Amino acid sequence: MDALMNGLEQLLAGNSIFTLQTLGYYGEGLVTTVQLVFLSLLIGLVLAIPLSIGRGAKRAWIRLPIFFFCYVFRGTPLLVQLYLIYYGVVFVDGIQDTWLWLILEKPFVPALVAFTLNTAAYTTEIFRGAIKSTPKGEIEAARAYGMSQRLMMRRIVMPSAFRRALPAYGNEVIFMLHASAIASVVTIMDLTGAARFVYARFYAPFDAFFFAAAIYLCLTFAILYFFRYLEKKLLAHLKPATG
Amino acid sequence: MIDLHGYGPRLLEGALVTIELAVLSLILAIFLGLLTASAKMSRSWLLHRVGTLYTTIIRGVPDLVLMMLLFFGGQIGINMITDWLYDQFNIDIFININEFVAGVFTIGLIFGAYMGETFRGAFLAVDSGQIEAGRAYGMTQSLVFRRIRFPLMMRHALPGLSNNWMVLLKTTALVSVIGLSDMVRVAAEASKATREPFTFMIIVGIVYLLIASVSEWGFARLQKHYDTGHAEAN
Amino acid sequence: MADTPIPLEVRNITKRFGDTEVLKGLSLQAQKSDVITLIGASGSGKSTFLRCMNLLEQPDDGELIIHGEPIRFKQTRHGREPADWNQVVAMRAKLSMVFQGFNLWAHMTLLENIIEAPVHVLGKPKKQAIEHARELLERVGLSDRADYYPAQMSGGQQQRGAIARALAMDPDVMLFDEPTSALDPELVGEVLKVIRGLAEEGRTMILVTHEMAFARDVSTQVVYLHQGQVEEAGPPAQVLGNPSSERLKQFLAPKN
Repeated sequence: MDALMNGLEQLLAGNSIFTLQTLGYYGEGLVTTVQLVFLSLLIGLVLAIPLSIGRGAKRAWIRLPIFFFCYVFRGTPLLVQLYLIYYGVVFVDGIQDTWLWLILEKPFVPALVAFTLNTAAYTTEIFRGAIKSTPKGEIEAARAYGMSQRLMMRRIVMPSAFRRALPAYGNEVIFMLHASAIASVVTIMDLTGAARFVYARFYAPFDAFFFAAAIYLCLTFAILYFFRYLEKKLLAHLKPATG
Repeated sequence: MIDLHGYGPRLLEGALVTIELAVLSLILAIFLGLLTASAKMSRSWLLHRVGTLYTTIIRGVPDLVLMMLLFFGGQIGINMITDWLYDQFNIDIFININEFVAGVFTIGLIFGAYMGETFRGAFLAVDSGQIEAGRAYGMTQSLVFRRIRFPLMMRHALPGLSNNWMVLLKTTALVSVIGLSDMVRVAAEASKATREPFTFMIIVGIVYLLIASVSEWGFARLQKHYDTGHAEAN
Repeated sequence: MADTPIPLEVRNITKRFGDTEVLKGLSLQAQKSDVITLIGASGSGKSTFLRCMNLLEQPDDGELIIHGEPIRFKQTRHGREPADWNQVVAMRAKLSMVFQGFNLWAHMTLLENIIEAPVHVLGKPKKQAIEHARELLERVGLSDRADYYPAQMSGGQQQRGAIARALAMDPDVMLFDEPTSALDPELVGEVLKVIRGLAEEGRTMILVTHEMAFARDVSTQVVYLHQGQVEEAGPPAQVLGNPSSERLKQFLAPKN
């Protein structure tokens, strides 16, 4: 490990911007970005499952609020949602004197909430589309074999909808990764935040932002290949047999 | 009534900035998109590569990072060129990139890549027999494009175009970060000053939803126009 | 035997779609080991009638009695509905349906398709269900296709698999909705062979089919429907061999 660090230090010897320290900022920024994106996607996904089922409910008082939630969060910029939640929390009277402030003081939580709600809205619509495109015959077979509505959802509709939603959901993951760059606007030191910091310090926009862009590009490709692999595995059942 | 603490007029100006920015970016994006689609479909190996590289990079990097790179880096790049011109030829010019131009360029550049994909798909969906028929009647290459290929292509491109426009509209909010006074920036300033974020952010949200609804209606009418002669296609 | 309740009885079923009355009071009684074939031109209501029997369509009126137990209905704003869906679920588990379009669940292998309802609806232990499924697969000649997905099989294989899925429920009555209509002609034979085998072992079955020769061979009773009514019914030799109705004669006459 030490040898590696020494080697790296030598490599960077002639470089005034990319010192071990700035690389450290990028490293921490990367970790923050990944945490933020991963957590919001995970919670958003968990929320989207019941929401997407409720979105198609017969009862209007279940269906309409979910429709409204999706419409608003998909129709307005994430930045506006982030500001609303971030300032909304900060400006609550007296909040700075309570224990809650210990958690909310860091912008990470409001950002996480905004991102989670945003991705939940998009994911709900993706799942809704996939549920709606379940072949009618498969649903009929489930009913004909005595499945209750609940069992049919759990065993037939959702598993096949998840598979069909995979390509669109892969896009949503990439979208969230890119959208997370705005976290830096509320002073979170994510990957973009690190790049902005390095830019401000050295006034070297090309170095600072190209480096961040390259890391985002790598992450994007990693996600892309991961989803391609998943599709290959999970959508195998839709392809005719070979041999 | 809602008390806007005197921010009303500025909010309105901000909304106009948002709309202008979005429309100009859209025009640039359509232009770049058509270029990219042609490059990607051309027989030239180099053009094809350039087109692919452009779309891959743009679609792999966050909009905000690209915007900062172009806005902050663009000024330095241009300064470098003007400095060089001064040193070499004693030409003294000063170009200052303003936020609006930077915003239009970045958003146009970003959505040019997405439009490129939309147009490429749409061009490929046009029945080649119709184009052959145009040629057979002695139309020139450009006449075929203008009179036959483009109108037919638009029918297939409109759904994607409408989708890109909706995303583009929301992306304009990012220019507030580089200092342009669009409605999001005005609302953010007002929120901080008045400590009433809900009032301002909700108003801005409603304006976005309004613009989106109006454009949806507009696109539906356009689609109807380009669908002329085609049976109900769902 | 006389005390055994009748597996399936329907009385006076009517069904309307909008203003058109597609079933005008149809009745039918399936005794144990009966093979009843419903024939008729398209639009005669034969498939709708079959789908009413396990309530995939809700009849507007009429009775449905499974093993002597009538299904209870109630009136709602949207028309008549079963009063107790649990009763319907239990009833459906006893009547297995085989569909025209196979309707195998695409995200499951054939074996998973077969054990799905026995395990999750009937609560059968998984191991036992798999054993039974393998026996059934061998019976329909698909032992080597257990781990294939539906999309990887021919139509004939899918339909034989779907029959195995129906058999896995140990049904009292099997309902076949035009089981060979979606198949290429060369694949029809393999499916009919399997169904014939089931008839021979004394399964109670109700079939909707266009295969007249097959209907003649396997049926105990043939019912000819016309515009939602029974035009003629009886043993196949009589209905198909010596029809009295002018319409049925035309229907049976060789085309061209």
